[in-house]
Amino acid sequence: MRILVIEDDKDVASFIRSGLIQAGCNVDNAANGKDGLFLATTEKYDALIIDRMLPGVDGLTVIRTLRASANTTPVLILSALGEVDDRVKGLKAGGDDYLVKPFAFSELLARLEALVRRVKSSGDSPSTVLRAADLEMDLLRRDVRRGGQVIDLQPREFQLLEFLLRHAGQVVTRTMLLEGVWDYHFDPQTNVIDVHISRLRSKIDRGFDRQLLHTVRGVGYRLDT
Amino acid sequence: MRLRRLRRLFRTSVFRLTLAYAALFVISVGALSAIVYWSTLGYLERQNNAVIEAEINGLSEQYERSGLTGLADIINERVERDAERRSVYLLADAIGRPLAGNVPYWPTTLDTVTEEWVDFIRRDERGNETPVRGALLRVGPGFRLLVGRDIRELAAIRGVLRSAAMYGITLALGLALVGGLLMALSAQRRLAELNRTTRQIIAGDLNRRAPLTGSNDEHDELASNINAMLDQIENLLSGMRHVADSVAHDLRGPLTRLRNRLEMLAAGAEPSQEDLAECVRQLDQVLATFNALLRIARVESGAYRSAFKPVDLAPIVHDVRELYQATADDRQLRLIGEPEGAVEVFGDRELLAQALTNLLDNAVKYTPTGGTITIRLEQQGDTARLSVADTGPGVPEDDRGRVLQRFTRLDQARSQPGAGLGLALVNAVTMQHHGRLLLGDNQPGLIVTLELPASSPLRVAA
Repeated sequence: MRILVIEDDKDVASFIRSGLIQAGCNVDNAANGKDGLFLATTEKYDALIIDRMLPGVDGLTVIRTLRASANTTPVLILSALGEVDDRVKGLKAGGDDYLVKPFAFSELLARLEALVRRVKSSGDSPSTVLRAADLEMDLLRRDVRRGGQVIDLQPREFQLLEFLLRHAGQVVTRTMLLEGVWDYHFDPQTNVIDVHISRLRSKIDRGFDRQLLHTVRGVGYRLDT
Repeated sequence: MRLRRLRRLFRTSVFRLTLAYAALFVISVGALSAIVYWSTLGYLERQNNAVIEAEINGLSEQYERSGLTGLADIINERVERDAERRSVYLLADAIGRPLAGNVPYWPTTLDTVTEEWVDFIRRDERGNETPVRGALLRVGPGFRLLVGRDIRELAAIRGVLRSAAMYGITLALGLALVGGLLMALSAQRRLAELNRTTRQIIAGDLNRRAPLTGSNDEHDELASNINAMLDQIENLLSGMRHVADSVAHDLRGPLTRLRNRLEMLAAGAEPSQEDLAECVRQLDQVLATFNALLRIARVESGAYRSAFKPVDLAPIVHDVRELYQATADDRQLRLIGEPEGAVEVFGDRELLAQALTNLLDNAVKYTPTGGTITIRLEQQGDTARLSVADTGPGVPEDDRGRVLQRFTRLDQARSQPGAGLGLALVNAVTMQHHGRLLLGDNQPGLIVTLELPASSPLRVAA
């Protein structure tokens, strides 16, 4: 993946850069909105990471300018701790996802991968059947089978599994699940999501040799393909 | 010192205003005096002229009737009769020799005068000079008649009026200046007191208050408003100090543990992945506390208010209950309560959901196994009521106000994870929604109720 990081804070920028390089990405850095906008318009990237508050041209203006010139590269907005959590404004400006500092790098990477994947798969015709290994979800009939065997799921469990299937093979974090499945954007203090996952796991993995739903320690979960 | 004070006084707006009023005052008194002066003098002069005119007319008739000698006789007769010597008569020939009258010779100053009315100085036998106003009349070939009146009194009245006006204006000016100076000084003294107080506060003495005179005037009102503002600032400051103290106190523990762990790792061999992960986990906890604090601060700042809109609480209750259902099941707690109908409030969906999440979090944490947690949503009149009741240990009545503050953790809560910020956030959210947060006894257990103003009237089922 080729990623452009537009971030004026040197520490944060180098933290993201070294992490992304370790994850096998190509990383370019820009320390202000003007340089960032120039790079974003002249080079081809898989995703942009843009800080909201930038010297000169601010982050949201960069995004608006890109979108106005029909640039559809997915954008992950970073917002500083202490700023008003103005997620809606950021997404309205054309951002695809929103992350508040400080964040765990694993959270950033998970969201970035989800973004890039979403854009890549959006070209395909919308499929009505989602698959991972021998697990199959029919979105029209609203049923789930594993190895041909029907699995009975509650509505919310169905949504949870759908989200995991759409991100199959990727790590999804707890906050991504809370956002994607429940549409809430705060951190619940206790691990309520874990309990839902373990219930779902008991339904789709129990009695099968191969475990599909894995816990990625300290980060989140991954559904194997 | 005195000079500097005076100079400062000149710069004050009150003083400048007083000066302007003094000028206006003096101009009014001056104008009044001028009117009195001109109208009084004008009246007297007109009267004088009328008398002279009447005499001239009379004498001119006399001349026509009995000729020059008759005129001279009547003039002499009138001079005799005029005991006060107020009247002036002179009948003279072409070269100015007097024929009759009480002026010894024709005043040379009148030779060149051509108009009818004249003013001149009469010098009598004893050398006394008196101002005279008179009129000229030509009689017969080359004879001239001068009739006038002594206007000494008129001149005296003019002098009196002039000096009265001068005194009046001077007095008005003096009074206006002294009065203005006194008024400016007293106003400046009051303002100087306020300024002294505010300077002391700026210098760091926050306990200072502006003195009140008890007169309830606008200065007192200003002073008491400033005092009220200072009280509010002091309250907020002490609140902030409390939070800062608590933050320092609460974070010192985990940070010290983290430091010790890192020190051990630095001294020892290659640190394991698990050690490092534990360090990250501890730091995450510290960050979570900070995030919670910032969230409360942001809610309290009213930053979310602008995005408030009508929100139905029922789906929030449904969602959050469902989110916690699995956890409650795991801990063998009964979680009951499903909203029956829409209850709309004006607010922020996320904040309300997080408030309910925090309440359920507490309930799940503190209710012993086998207990029951009940969520209730109802609308009574224009009040939406959302409550969470548990069968845990409850909160003693004396502690109910305290637990709403940041970092308050009761003794029985020490064993549970948490930073004591959950209810503080719920409280902040409730306040921002203009609601009330009530803690009560569920007998046994705690019941927390959010009373929020409902944004739509209760729909009564038909």
